[in-house]
Amino acid sequence: MAEIKVKNLHKEFGVGDDRVVALENVNLDIEGHVFVSIVGPSGCGKSTLLNILSGIETASSGTVDITQDSHDANPGYVFQAARLLPWRSVMENLMFVQKERDDEARARCQRYLDMVQLGDKGDKFPGELSGGMQQRVGIARAFSIEPDVLFMDEPFSHLDAITARSLRRELHEMWKQTKKTVLFVTHDVGEAVELSNRILVFAKGGKLEDDITVDLPFPRDPSDDAVAVAKAQVLRKFEELDLLAT
Amino acid sequence: MRRAHARRTATTIREVSDIVVTTDERPEGRQRSAEEERLLAQRRRDTRNKWLWRIAGYVVVLLIWEYGFQAIMELIAGRSLNDALLPGPIRILQTIPDIWEDGEMLSNFGATLTRIGIGFGVSFIAGALIGLFTQNKWLDSFFRDLVVVSLTSPGLVWALTGLIIWGFKPLGWIFAIFMTTFALVSVNISEGVRALPKDLLDMAKAFGVSSIDRQRHIVIPHLAPYIFTAVRFGFSIAWKVTVLTEVFSSNKGIGFQMRVTSQVFQLDEFFTWVLSFFVFALFLEKVVLQRAEDRYFRWRQEVAT
Repeated sequence: MAEIKVKNLHKEFGVGDDRVVALENVNLDIEGHVFVSIVGPSGCGKSTLLNILSGIETASSGTVDITQDSHDANPGYVFQAARLLPWRSVMENLMFVQKERDDEARARCQRYLDMVQLGDKGDKFPGELSGGMQQRVGIARAFSIEPDVLFMDEPFSHLDAITARSLRRELHEMWKQTKKTVLFVTHDVGEAVELSNRILVFAKGGKLEDDITVDLPFPRDPSDDAVAVAKAQVLRKFEELDLLAT
Repeated sequence: MRRAHARRTATTIREVSDIVVTTDERPEGRQRSAEEERLLAQRRRDTRNKWLWRIAGYVVVLLIWEYGFQAIMELIAGRSLNDALLPGPIRILQTIPDIWEDGEMLSNFGATLTRIGIGFGVSFIAGALIGLFTQNKWLDSFFRDLVVVSLTSPGLVWALTGLIIWGFKPLGWIFAIFMTTFALVSVNISEGVRALPKDLLDMAKAFGVSSIDRQRHIVIPHLAPYIFTAVRFGFSIAWKVTVLTEVFSSNKGIGFQMRVTSQVFQLDEFFTWVLSFFVFALFLEKVVLQRAEDRYFRWRQEVAT
């Protein structure tokens, strides 16, 4: 079972007047098949946390320990923009991140493209697809390496409401089927309540302020009373922490 | 009233979904609509007209050259110009087979092309390395003025300098080509490296893609347009400087032939060399480089259509 342990994680940028603390002594313990959302206002270090966990950035101090079932596995990452190579076809984009680029990997990539309903678009270039389709390719790419841990950084924030909603459903189905540990950054509290088992609330200055467990059955419909109440509770927490004003 | 409104809304939605189906998944062999036919016909007409005007441009210039100048001379001076001083295109075309049969054409072209190949090859490698070095701020300061000097000074200066120092030796023309073209390459490569897509490189890093694969699948395709620009402009300058060095310091090559034929007033042959030079430059640009570019940037065309 996958496990993410973060101890006293600290990250700051710049010096003097330009010094910015992005994360302040964050401690975290995430274990097993859970969907964890990270919410908070802009500039609270949500994306920085994912970037450090995925190795894109290094921490100023503190430790990160990610244990996965398969030791050589790499976590998957879905970015805010799809970040596809524009000069490679959809299938080549998926193959690009595979450790072994063999027939088995190709079949696996095809399976995940089918799962995001783009099975027939493997030969297309990203520029030929709509924004929603590109993001689905990004999701298929992250799943195609079959990681135990998946990072997602506001993956639906660039999309229109309808596309975002259908992708949320697809994502939930895939998460249910593939049993991954997901760390999902969002600024949309409704989205966090709809998808997550746990919601981590970050405040400006990179402080982890609260760790909320959402104990509601899946699938969750945003129009359900229970989901609406849960959303209101999280928002009230935001108010208590004075996060809405920022 | 309310029902009518509801029906109208339903119709609108169906129309919209119809459009989505036709653009997204058009069935093979579908009949083209009248509008599509009209657009295709318009496109065909545009292409035809573009070519007609282009050919007309050539025909008019050649006609003026063949007959117009003589007519103007007769009008102004009352006599026609000596045919040897301004040979017309027909006479020039007639000299091509003679030069070709002598074997002169191939051997001189070969000599010039070899020089360009070697000179520009050396310049490209050095220019690309300097372009990479200038990512370092100290090395950027080191090379900065040298690059500016190379970009702004005329090729003639380096052709003459090469002649004075090395005479007819290859180092003379290699030096001239290098001094006039390396900066173009280094500036382009440097710009490309500066604009590297950090988001894609970060993505590859997050997925644990090896450094070699990152270079191969991200850095090189990203740099390709910059490299093409460098080759295109660098080559065109290398070409001119090589011919210039041949005029001064060579006993073979197109430039050398131009010098010899102009000295003995064989202007028909002189213009034949000039013309062949143009034709080759056009061939290189339109066929070789354009084809290579089209092949490499197929994804852009696919996206555009």
